[in-house]
Amino acid sequence: MKPLTGFELLRPSTLSGALELLATLELAWPIAGGTDLIPQFKDDGCESKHLVDLSLIRELNGIKMEDNFIVIGPMTTQTQVISSRLIEENAPALHEAVKLMGSPQIRNRATIGGNLCNASPAADTAPPLLVHDAEVKLTSLEDSRWIPLTDFFAEECTALEPNELMTSIRFPIVHGASSSFQRIGRRRGFTLSVLNLAVYIERDGKNLSEVKIAVGAVAPTPIMLEKVERELKGMRMDTNLLEHARKMVSEAVNPRDSARSSGEYKREMAGVLTERALSAAWTRVGGKLP
Amino acid sequence: MEYDKILSDLLNRDEYHLVGKKTVRSDALNKLLGRTRFTADYIPKGTKAVRVLRSTRPHALINRVDISAALQMPGVEAILTAKDITGENEIGYALPEQPFLNDKKVHYVGDPIALIIASDDVATQEAMDAIEVEYEPLPPVFDVDEAMAPGAPFIHKDGNVALTTRIRKGDIEKGWKQAKIVIEDVYRTPFQEHMALEPEAAYAVPEGIDKVTVIACMQSPHVVREKVARVLGWKLNQVRIIQAMTGGAFGKKDDTGPLISAYAAFAAMKTGKPVAYVMDRSEVVSVTPKRFPARFKYKSGADRKGKMTAVEVEITLEVGAYANRAPFWLWRQTAHACGPYEVENVAVDGKAVYTNKVYGGSYRGFGNLALHFAVEQQVDKLANELGMDPVEFRMKNILREGSRTTCDQLLDNSVGMEKCLVGVAEASEWTKHKDPIRNGTKIRGWGVGCAYHGNSTSRSTPDWSAASLLFNIDGSFLYRTSICEIGQGTPFSHAKIVAEIVGARIESIKIEPPDTDSTPDSKPTHGSRGTMMGGTAAADAAINLRERMVRVAADMLRCSQEQVELRDSVAYNKKEPSVKVPFNELAEMMHIRGENPGSYGFYTSPKRFFDAKTGLGVNYACYTFAASVAEVEVDSETGEARVIKIWPAMDVGKAIDPLSIDGQVHGAISHGMGFVLMENLLVRDGVVLNPNFGDYIIPSAMDTPEIADTILVEEPYKYAAFGMKGVGEPSILSAVPAIVNAIHHATGIWFTSLPITPDRLYKALKEAKA
Amino acid sequence: MIFELNGKNVGVEAKPTVTLLDLLRGELGVTSVKKGCEQGECGACTVLLDGDPVTSCLILAPQVEGRRVLTIEGLVDNPLVRELREAFLRNGAVQCGYCTPGMLLSGYALLRDNKRPSEEEVKTAIEGNICRCTGYVAIIESILDAAERIAPD
Repeated sequence: MKPLTGFELLRPSTLSGALELLATLELAWPIAGGTDLIPQFKDDGCESKHLVDLSLIRELNGIKMEDNFIVIGPMTTQTQVISSRLIEENAPALHEAVKLMGSPQIRNRATIGGNLCNASPAADTAPPLLVHDAEVKLTSLEDSRWIPLTDFFAEECTALEPNELMTSIRFPIVHGASSSFQRIGRRRGFTLSVLNLAVYIERDGKNLSEVKIAVGAVAPTPIMLEKVERELKGMRMDTNLLEHARKMVSEAVNPRDSARSSGEYKREMAGVLTERALSAAWTRVGGKLP
Repeated sequence: MEYDKILSDLLNRDEYHLVGKKTVRSDALNKLLGRTRFTADYIPKGTKAVRVLRSTRPHALINRVDISAALQMPGVEAILTAKDITGENEIGYALPEQPFLNDKKVHYVGDPIALIIASDDVATQEAMDAIEVEYEPLPPVFDVDEAMAPGAPFIHKDGNVALTTRIRKGDIEKGWKQAKIVIEDVYRTPFQEHMALEPEAAYAVPEGIDKVTVIACMQSPHVVREKVARVLGWKLNQVRIIQAMTGGAFGKKDDTGPLISAYAAFAAMKTGKPVAYVMDRSEVVSVTPKRFPARFKYKSGADRKGKMTAVEVEITLEVGAYANRAPFWLWRQTAHACGPYEVENVAVDGKAVYTNKVYGGSYRGFGNLALHFAVEQQVDKLANELGMDPVEFRMKNILREGSRTTCDQLLDNSVGMEKCLVGVAEASEWTKHKDPIRNGTKIRGWGVGCAYHGNSTSRSTPDWSAASLLFNIDGSFLYRTSICEIGQGTPFSHAKIVAEIVGARIESIKIEPPDTDSTPDSKPTHGSRGTMMGGTAAADAAINLRERMVRVAADMLRCSQEQVELRDSVAYNKKEPSVKVPFNELAEMMHIRGENPGSYGFYTSPKRFFDAKTGLGVNYACYTFAASVAEVEVDSETGEARVIKIWPAMDVGKAIDPLSIDGQVHGAISHGMGFVLMENLLVRDGVVLNPNFGDYIIPSAMDTPEIADTILVEEPYKYAAFGMKGVGEPSILSAVPAIVNAIHHATGIWFTSLPITPDRLYKALKEAKA
Repeated sequence: MIFELNGKNVGVEAKPTVTLLDLLRGELGVTSVKKGCEQGECGACTVLLDGDPVTSCLILAPQVEGRRVLTIEGLVDNPLVRELREAFLRNGAVQCGYCTPGMLLSGYALLRDNKRPSEEEVKTAIEGNICRCTGYVAIIESILDAAERIAPD
């Protein structure tokens, strides 16, 4: 492991202050909870010369409802996310995902924005936010833009331009909808997900009027399975559909072998977890399964 | 000397005051207050830091090491290589050829080449980065069969087989003829990393030009002293080794203790300054010794009645870069090869083979863990073939008093195997679990495992232990043992034994941190010998002192010696208990009268005979027996398995402290469960890929199964004080096979290699269905 | 920079490349906080930051400016911690002791906010504190035992 060396820590208290630093200083990187970055620095060294600590910027923290959207500041800690009734009721998949992430100590520091911006394909907050149609706001000194979260991830990086910060996350509240998060881990205690997945549904009587499926750790970024979603939308919810969904999802993903698990296993589990997530979400919206 | 009888006659108590009772351990409060100092807590601010430059190649000659640029870096105090060594460049444990610093060749990724001493971590890192090593790569060997193949590159000069072992007992051909069923299979176990929470650390201070003091974590201070003196080229009395409270070891620090102490001591003497060597987690996991991977080609046969008639085993032990503990590890596997069963006809052949990987070293259970993983599946398979219940089959074969072990050792005393097996079978209601139980996608299964473990060293290696006890003039005691406190609570058990015998309040006894300048050599803290051997030395010291205390007390109380009782730090007349002499007065009088207030205890293991040609003889002083039943639940849809409950039993000879025994049982179950289900050291091209807690997964609190009360069986071992036997290791040996056999019960699948991760289990289930 | 450590204001030079863990151990002599992995995975370096358990190895020294840090030294006389200590002693929950300060802090934070936790809640509270000695059983029992004593049914 390497010693921490070669950087200064800047602690702006305003967003514009932070953006200014990122724009003017060379090799300036933002740091949120530090729970991903600091271990990375210890393993690989730190190339940044100026770490810009975002934790004093109040406007980046908090969860609120605004115009029928749930709006989350990226510096909101995972612990704060878990204790939000708003999120628990309106995006159960996100609540479930965050509960499984890290230990209490990690959750007290790790942030939802940090999890997204670290861009791990196995980021646990990504599938729930993706299926809830989340958008993220990317801000620089000059400009500010909302983009769908589906457009945010690329292999080993994100849509963030240099000098941009993620400044908000939002997703719509949809009454009568629900979601579920499932994952495979290598132990019951906190651990990186071998595979994770979220499903969002809307119910219309006995049918799925809307379905969204997002899977992590099967590709270089978290992905949504649009073909499968289109196929399942409008179908009657029963064991046949679950079986069908399981097959389709397994066929739709193409995970590689990794040190943590075989690709074949992940492929099959994507199907299994989809079935479980669909059942769980269906039960949540008052649906019945024979 | 039959200490069990000696003590029961001497003390003549219906019930012991401390031995056998739950006692709050004396070091716990300081640990709870955060006041206990571990090695790194002693290091003053500003102490020079030592780092080790290690090989980045698995197998190479060293052509050149250029430290000139590094020496110019700021803050660098010195850079030391093999040519600076004043003593011998040799630090191997059993077999020679393990250089302290390599200058000719490197044998694994992590092999030490140079020491850098500089002002802090940043300076040492920069200096390390500036050192140039010119390697001449040699073809690396990463597989035992490749290593043994003709024409394989030699890792060490005498070839790649470090040693061989052999047992021939009875008539193996006759055994096969008598067998109605024969089961043959190959079992493999992987590396396991101890993951003790405290990373290795050593702090060395030069005391003038001819002595050095080292404070470090370790398990055997006198072995450390010997190794350090050897590297420095000094006499033993020039090296002072102090064991600091150690944050977990499980065997590894027995191997790393000498290395880290030698790095620190050498650096201190060369620079003339105090230095500290603290490993980081990634270094610990990457370069320090691991549980040896092993392969067993196991063939066993049983007659139609279920009696085992023959066992033939070929053991291949992967040693890694250096032999280290290999002879002891392989011999232990060889000598226990049949498992805790009586089998007349036995043939065992063992080989320990070098590869260019991180090397093996001590780890709880030693080679017996891999062995029992193999044996207990073989036994279940035999039972299965015969349509016999696994417990019933075991009952037909287990060792009992009068039985002979694998190596033909007659067990004439202290055999609690049956009570352990019957105990766990009853406690778990074994007969109610004939069939696995399905509930949706979940399946529950039950499995049993039996084990035995020879205490202390094998093959009639001379074994002894020493202790000393001082009765201070104020009535307080100082007890000295070099059995190390590594979390298991053994020195405290010694204190309880002493307190029981001399009648002292437990609070009045302080245990000296092991210090080779004053603490007697109790020999190492390993092999589950700390209590059995070290504790009997404690008893010996206490018995000697008691004799003098009673003599003086009798005088002071004006009664006969037979009437004197010592209890709660008071001496009194049994016939007139109100007449008392408190220990401070007793101590003072002893000093005045010239009755030696100090005593030295020495205990030597009964002589054993062993023939290395046949592999037969009395191998161990005594054996601890253990049994476990495990209940597991498998999610057949995802392959995830979890341990629901374990019922453990152990024949401990005599329980000194049930709380600490439970602690060992629970901890061992955790290591065992991790080994079966989740621990997976990934080594590719000799490089450890997951040197951290994030990717080398061990059990967390969330993974804790339910553990039934430990069934404590007591079949006293007559030569040890109170009849006690070792506890620390046997607890893991029966838990691992119980879990594996339970998984088989649930799924119908025999897993002959580990770990059984979700993807493996899922794949096996799928293939079984097809 | 100034921060509150165990109830007292402390002024230190806080280098950005020094973690809170190294600041506490190296500069301020608070050795109850242990270094086990430096990556937030083992919990041996747990401290309470404004009352919340965090792994001090992932916090850079300047980040605690103006905040409250508590280690086990600062909770010696706390009645809840005292109950926990007694329970740990009684139940044999201390072996090597390296994880112990972190376990106590996590246990304290749990019982402070949740008087009668379930076994599952206890396991979750100490999920981030790795122990390789005890197998967790005695520790979980101790925390439940202490809870029972401070808030009996």
